[in-house]
Amino acid sequence: MKEMVRYGFILALICTIASGLLATVNSFTKSKIIAQAQAEEEASLKEVVAQGERFEAIKSQAGTIYYRVYDKEAKFIGVAFKASGKGYSSIIETMVGMLKDGTITTIKILSQNETPGLGANVAGRDFTGQFTNKKDLTKVQAITGATISSRAVIEMVKNKAEEIKGLIKDGK
Amino acid sequence: MKKLLNEFLKGIIRENPTFVLVLGLCPTLAVSVSIINGIGMGIAATFVLLGSNIIISLIKRIVPDRIRIPCFIVVIATFVTIVEMTMKAYSPALNRALGIYVPLIVVNCMVLGRAEAYAQRATVVNALFDGLGMGIGFTLALILISAIREFFGSGQILGQTLFKGFEPASIFAMPSGALLVIGLLLGFFNLLKNRKAQ
Repeated sequence: MKEMVRYGFILALICTIASGLLATVNSFTKSKIIAQAQAEEEASLKEVVAQGERFEAIKSQAGTIYYRVYDKEAKFIGVAFKASGKGYSSIIETMVGMLKDGTITTIKILSQNETPGLGANVAGRDFTGQFTNKKDLTKVQAITGATISSRAVIEMVKNKAEEIKGLIKDGK
Repeated sequence: MKKLLNEFLKGIIRENPTFVLVLGLCPTLAVSVSIINGIGMGIAATFVLLGSNIIISLIKRIVPDRIRIPCFIVVIATFVTIVEMTMKAYSPALNRALGIYVPLIVVNCMVLGRAEAYAQRATVVNALFDGLGMGIGFTLALILISAIREFFGSGQILGQTLFKGFEPASIFAMPSGALLVIGLLLGFFNLLKNRKAQ
């Protein structure tokens, strides 16, 4: 019995010191982590719509979040949005830029964990570059050996683009 | 001084954690698809190993034998969380590339193995050199495996395509390829060792 109390005390002591240490590190890094995530999001927005100067986050009634993009003269030029879907072995997340007439400007794969050497190539320029300046995504060529991953990206971008097009047409 | 050097060097060849002790194979199989991932994982694991070895050899007198495992796990988990938070704050790109494997260093049996087999009986300085040597040995092993897999699996080294017209065998990029490469390397190193012993 006495042993057990001693063991409990020692373990509690070690845990307390460990959590104190973690709290200290967290207080130093927390704001930095948030800032990094924000900077990254902004950088990828800028990347998909290069002419964009100001990005305004909008939440539709259905809960879809997208960004309205304004150029230097504060004119509304297009939108940027995130699309995600199931690939071959992971959830693929994509940032898409689209002009207001429905032309895709650029897409960028934000995160994926597909098979390296095959599906992971969807993040490469050879594949994502095909989306640039396209309205009709049926012309995008799937990567050999990675049909499922490629199709997943094409489908998720197409579906989300349709949804967003509907939203901006309604003037929301 | 010579003894310390010995503690340091043994982890690199004679007691290499991957090829001789055969510890921590799960993350080795998973991250060794590209050299960059291998290096990142190696550095992160080295830091954790170094920290946990030092702390565990410092607290070895106050930790009773029967509860040593939970105590060691708390120490290791603390270092892993510190590494993860620091990586997220200062190097988000590397953090994204390594993904889930950073938190999984906690269950890398190499770290706990060194705590159990060495650090809980060693002096702080010895434990420090042991951790550093083992970490570097792990990193070098990861670089070797991932170089082979990256070259044969995707025809690249460090993300650069070497030859045109080389058709990569994608089995090397898959988990089965990792087992093949590690198995063949283990066999090769054992062959060398047996030759030397004769």
